[in-house]
Amino acid sequence: MAEGYYDYPVVKRPVWTWEVPAYFWLGGLAGGAYLTAALAQNFGSADDRRAAGGGYYVAAAALVPCAPLLIADLGRPDRFHHMLRIFKPLSPMNLGAWTLTSFTPVAFARAASHAASTGLLRGPLGALARLVPTRLAELAGVVLGLTLAGYSGVLLAATNIPLWAKSKLLGGLFMASALASGSAAVTLQAGRRAVPDATLHRLAMIESAASAGEMAILTGYLVQSKKAARPLTTGRFAMPFWLGAVGAGMLLPLLLHRVAGRRHGRALRSLTSAAAICTIGGSLALRWTIFEAGKESAEDQGASFDLARG
Amino acid sequence: MIDAYKRMMNIEEPPAPKTAKGFFTDTSLCIGCKACEVACKQWNQLPADGFAITGNSYDNTGHLGATTWRHVQFIEQAKANGSGQEQRWLMMSDVCKHCANAACLEACPTGALVRTEYGTVYVQQDICNGCGFCVPACPFGVIDRTPKTGHFEAGTAHKCTLCYDRLKDDMTPACAKSCPTASIQFGDVEELRTRARHRLGELHARGESKARLYGMPEGKEAAEVGPLHAFFLLLDEPQKYNLPEVPRLPRKTMTERYGWSAAVGIGFALVGALVLGRRG
Ligand code: SF4
Ligand code: SF4
Repeated sequence: MAEGYYDYPVVKRPVWTWEVPAYFWLGGLAGGAYLTAALAQNFGSADDRRAAGGGYYVAAAALVPCAPLLIADLGRPDRFHHMLRIFKPLSPMNLGAWTLTSFTPVAFARAASHAASTGLLRGPLGALARLVPTRLAELAGVVLGLTLAGYSGVLLAATNIPLWAKSKLLGGLFMASALASGSAAVTLQAGRRAVPDATLHRLAMIESAASAGEMAILTGYLVQSKKAARPLTTGRFAMPFWLGAVGAGMLLPLLLHRVAGRRHGRALRSLTSAAAICTIGGSLALRWTIFEAGKESAEDQGASFDLARG
Repeated sequence: MIDAYKRMMNIEEPPAPKTAKGFFTDTSLCIGCKACEVACKQWNQLPADGFAITGNSYDNTGHLGATTWRHVQFIEQAKANGSGQEQRWLMMSDVCKHCANAACLEACPTGALVRTEYGTVYVQQDICNGCGFCVPACPFGVIDRTPKTGHFEAGTAHKCTLCYDRLKDDMTPACAKSCPTASIQFGDVEELRTRARHRLGELHARGESKARLYGMPEGKEAAEVGPLHAFFLLLDEPQKYNLPEVPRLPRKTMTERYGWSAAVGIGFALVGALVLGRRG
């Protein structure tokens, strides 16, 4: 017998649809790719800089669908600009809207200035892009990109949905997933071009570090969530979660990168690319399963009571 | 320029605060007539929710929602009493709690949700863009968004307004006005609290030992969301009425959550810098 009023849920089921996890995934990927590219510019060799510079393009491209996705999910898309009528960082949704609005132009400016520096962008546009203060864009972009990558998990956790709110680690988990997918996207685009093996090894190592971190945080998240994690770990979303997000999205790429660590040339390129694709797909699977399982968690009366017992 | 911006974004000066108004819902007086549900629907011109039969006692309303702002619960309790069985019915008219620290209001990114001059929580319909964040934020599952394609205020968030329009004209909210047993009492929050404490004393004296108040400043349920401007006298544990023991305010743990997120980001940046800097 239910502890509460019949078996009625205590909290309301979120009304959001697939656009939200898709946006979280792309926004996180953009932030992660930008950070990886910026790290290579500042700490890497000349080869690293050339190879990872494409990360700026990846970030800019991933940001293009973000705003449309976010707007499409609103009940009144025609009023999307009301998000920006006030500045209220207390609301993660407001903070995210401002972050997306400011990160997008920064990422585009930095991508353009990179294109100009490699000779891809010429003529008057190239001259204009050369005016972008790269250091400043890098610093601002890193802060904004990390915020975009990290706020989404905190947003879901700033609710009363047991699966999202019980553990304190969802923000960290989404951040790790974003960094893994972002660095994987940089590896993927680098592997398609002529880059030295050493550079590819380094990029793959960064991606593996993110994936390993993601595994560790996921473990902590599941342990902390206790029974509230059931809609994710058992039932309808168990398969896509365990096989997709964890198996194909974290374990497999870690394994592939290990094998690739001892390979060179073509074999290295194919292995790292395959691993990167897995990581990127796994990141989407993680967002999607946690998001959708959260809706089922909302119906879990017992988990809601547990959450509200302190 | 600033004036033009404020006009464009519908930003107005808030009215000066007045005495806080609220509801004291004394469930020991409720007879389950649902006059409040009907009066609310009628005054606020809320559409019907269909004719579903839930099979759960006389409750065919089920939940509070975007178009249901009062909901009468029917709790059937049976307990063995010697050889026979004793039945009792607990009835409770549920409503938005108008929390002192409202999770919905804090979540709202547009500023559509505001605290009115009466201390109540109100959704400004011309501001809400239907982002839906308030919906899972509310610890009581009160506020909801109407479907994007519907006939009633499509795509925006709705909940009890404590009859803001009636308050503006010094009128009692429709539900309290229609309640035939004074189970729903409307008034100054401070005065209602005094009345509630007195009533609780009365019930305890009569042997209703499980009677309790829910949403008073001294109650543990006020630990995070603060005292409720719409509070209750209950005859059993809060959970029996689907009320959480200690309703959570998401803000309380937000810094810690951002902290973990930032730690992961900074840790990754350090590892990345080390890996890239270690050139062979
Ligand atoms: S009960 Fe829910 S909807 Fe009502 S004020 Fe509190 S948080 Fe907001
Ligand atoms: S749905 Fe409307 S009222 Fe609710 S948080 Fe979003 S903008 Fe605010």
